[in-house]
Order: sequence, then C-alpha cells, then structure tokens
Amino acid sequence: MTTTRMELVCPAGTPATLRAAVQAGADAVYCGFRDETNARNFPGLNFSRDELAEGVRFAHDHGSKVLVAINTFARVDDVDIWKKAADMAAESGADAIIAADFAVLDHVARNHKQIRLHLSVQAAAATPEAIGFYAARFGIRRVVLPRVLSLQEIAALNRAIDVETEAFVFGGLCVMIEGRCYLSSYATGKSPNLNGVCSPPEMVSYDEEPSGTAARLSGFTIDRYGRGQPVGYPTLCKGRFKAGGKTSHLFEDPVSLNAGGMISGLKAAGVTALKIEGRQRGKGYVSEVVRAFRKAVDAVEKGGEAVDIDRLLAGQSEGARQTSGAYEKKWR
Amino acid sequence: MLPGFVRHLFPTVAGLPAGPLLTLSLRSLARRRPGLFERLGEYRSACFGIDPVDLAFAFRVVPDGLRSSVRVVSKDGAAGSDVLIRGPLLTLLSLLDGTLDGDAMFFSRIISISGRTEAVLALRNTIEDAELRPSDLLGLHGILARCVDTGVLGALGAARRLADNSPSEARKA
Repeated sequence: MTTTRMELVCPAGTPATLRAAVQAGADAVYCGFRDETNARNFPGLNFSRDELAEGVRFAHDHGSKVLVAINTFARVDDVDIWKKAADMAAESGADAIIAADFAVLDHVARNHKQIRLHLSVQAAAATPEAIGFYAARFGIRRVVLPRVLSLQEIAALNRAIDVETEAFVFGGLCVMIEGRCYLSSYATGKSPNLNGVCSPPEMVSYDEEPSGTAARLSGFTIDRYGRGQPVGYPTLCKGRFKAGGKTSHLFEDPVSLNAGGMISGLKAAGVTALKIEGRQRGKGYVSEVVRAFRKAVDAVEKGGEAVDIDRLLAGQSEGARQTSGAYEKKWR
Repeated sequence: MLPGFVRHLFPTVAGLPAGPLLTLSLRSLARRRPGLFERLGEYRSACFGIDPVDLAFAFRVVPDGLRSSVRVVSKDGAAGSDVLIRGPLLTLLSLLDGTLDGDAMFFSRIISISGRTEAVLALRNTIEDAELRPSDLLGLHGILARCVDTGVLGALGAARRLADNSPSEARKA
C-alpha cells in the first residue's frame, strides 16, 4: 500500500464550478480552454485565458492545484492552437498539462519544463512499455489510466513503472477504446478525439411525436421515450436499437462508473490520484460528488472504509445505475 | 406548479410591463458583467422562448449583451423561437438562481426543450457560471442587495414549498 495521501482530481467546466469543486474539497481541479483543444468542447463551457489565470489564483489560494486538459489530437496543418493553449496554460501558473498528442507533449517538454506533464486517458496507454516510452521521451509524471484495467492489472502496472497513476472513480463510461471513438464521428462527422465533442449538440434534437419523444443525433433516431419517461442525451453508443426482433441498448447500457467502494483497493494497487468525471455537469453535481468522495477518501486514508458512497451518489449516476466497470473484471 | 388561479390573476396583458423592465435589467447586467454574455458566443443572438406553463403568457428573450431584449408574448408567440423552454415558473426561476440543476430537470421531464439544443446548452452553461442573484438582475449593491436577495430567495423557497405541498401535487403523488 502506498504511504502518500491520494489526490482527489475533480472536473470544472466553468469558473463557478472550479470554485465549487475547490470549496467541496478537491485536491486538484481539471479544466480546459474554450476551443477544440480539449475533449469537452461544448457551447458555453470551458475557460478563457483570463478565467484560467483567475481560477489558478483561486485554487492556489485554497491549497488546490489546477490541471489543464489539452487532450485532443492536433491536425496535420494546424498544430498552432494546441501549442498556444499549452503556452497559455503554462503562463497561467497551472500545475500540470494533461495531453495525449505527441506534438503537444513534445512542445511542452521542450518549452515549459517547469510544468508537470500528465498523459491523458486519450492516449490509452495501458502497458509498462507504452508508459515507459512517454516517460522517457517526454518526461510525463503521471498517466491517467484507461478504464479497461482491473485492479490486479493496475497493481502490476504500478510495480513496473516509475510514474504516478490516476484512475477514474466516478462518471460516465465509454464503450469505445479510450481515445478512439468512431461512432460519433461516423454519425456526425465530428470527432470526440479531434474536435473535442461527442454527439455535438447542434446535431441533437428532441422531437415530440404521437408516440412520445424521439431523441436524434444527426437525423439518426437514438432512442424513444414515452410521455413522462426520463430522457437521456443521445449518444450513439448508449442508444436503444431493434436487432433480431429485440429492442435493447445494443452497445452499452446508460450506466455510470462508481468505484467509491474500491478506493482502498485502488490505494493498495498504488494509484496516486482518483479522478471524477463530468466537466459538462453543473455545480450541484460537482459539489455533491466531490464532497462525498472527499469524505470517502479521507476515511480510507485514516484506515477506514468508504461505505456510504454508493448511497450518497445514487441520484447522480447516469441512468441511476452504477457499475465498478473493469476494476472487477471477470470476463477475461 | 403554481396554483391554477395564478394564471387567471395574471392574464397576458398583466405581464406586458415585464418586457421593458426585464430588457432594461438584462442590458444593465451586460454593462456590469460583459464576460457573462461572451460565454454565450454566437448564441447570444438566438431567440429563446421561455414558456412558464403556469402563467398565461410567455417570453421571447434575445440575450445579446447591450442589445438584449425581452418581450412578453402569447403562448403561440413563443413557438417560433430558436429554442423553446417550457416548465413551471418556480422551476424556471430556480434554474436562474442555481437552486436546481437544469440537466436533472430536463432529464426528468420537469422542463422540456425544443429547437436548437446547442443554444440551450450554451445558455445553461452561461447561467450556471453566472451565479445570478436577484440583486444582479436589479443592479443593486451593498446592504440593499443583500436584503433583496434574502427576501426574494426566501420568498421563492417558501413558494416552492407551498407548491410542493399543494393539493394538486399531492394528488399526483
């Protein structure tokens, strides 16, 4: 078991959410710029240069860190906005840049040696060899682990590498291999990993029809809801489709990761930081989830168990259903 | 949901003065906090139809900074907006002051939206970040602002509790 205190890394889509996360007990907050350089490029979300600088001041005044996600993949003829975003993050006094693209990692490693580099989950690095390469070549200090590893695999990985690991503990799950979603790209022409947007809202529509509400993405009907039935955001991977005469969530159920009960296991596996997902979510979500995980992590750090967290967070999960994901993988 | 008699107490004509007042209020807010409207990006020129289902009238809002406008319109008049947001008045007000989460209200069908989803998302994120209080909309400062915020938010809370306990809600439950 590691002796250092685990870090709680929390999402911030806006300056107000950053403040809420810090006040709820986040050790670190991650956020991004208001453009396609980060993987949550949605209207009204994210930070300007000045907002980031102000957010960093606020976080540091309260003893928290700010990690800036510049984690989409740069384009052949247009790398400059990614480099500029890295420059702005470094100038703002942020504590780390989270990146996946070689061009961005190389730019930061060469030009901003004072700032920590974290390898984004978008890089999908899950072997000692891959992580070792990033560490040797770009000096990454931490890797955000893809959500495909079991606890045993994470423990084995941590024994074989010299960099910190950060593991997701709460939030949406993705059926695609991290960093390579082709479903949304196929349907909308916009890539989560290149343009920073999964199921872009300009292609989302909710149409009232005699049989209820049809949720569509780029004209494709992803789901139908009866009158008064709770609706969801139409991502293709979590849509309901008819196949073989049966209607079901063909690719993935709308279920959320909640590894709140596995915090001590993650600590024992050598994980340095626990990550909460949800930069698109509001202050209410961030405050509640961060507060619950703060309690749970503190309890584990004192040698206890985080027993209450499932009950505390049941209402915040997508589809109100939760899973421990691959951490307890039994199918392989 | 407000009691049914409210709709009869406030017919469309009674709401008309609210349009110019809210327009002035939004423009004043834009002078004091221009960054708030920048977050809306291109959607600041979109027309948002806000339809409180328990009132006899609706609003057409263009949150375009110093050119912002709010018009009181009939229910049909809101239908041609780029976005139409419908829900109980107290819920809509609670989204403004951040008491309730817009996503949760939408996913549970308490509010409904139609039209340009991306504009709604931009508006929701902007409101979320703005942390608006009643005094911000009225342009008040200091002790007066604190008194108004306490009074208005307290009254809203009381109205919400009253509505939650109303016989119609009890029947639904």
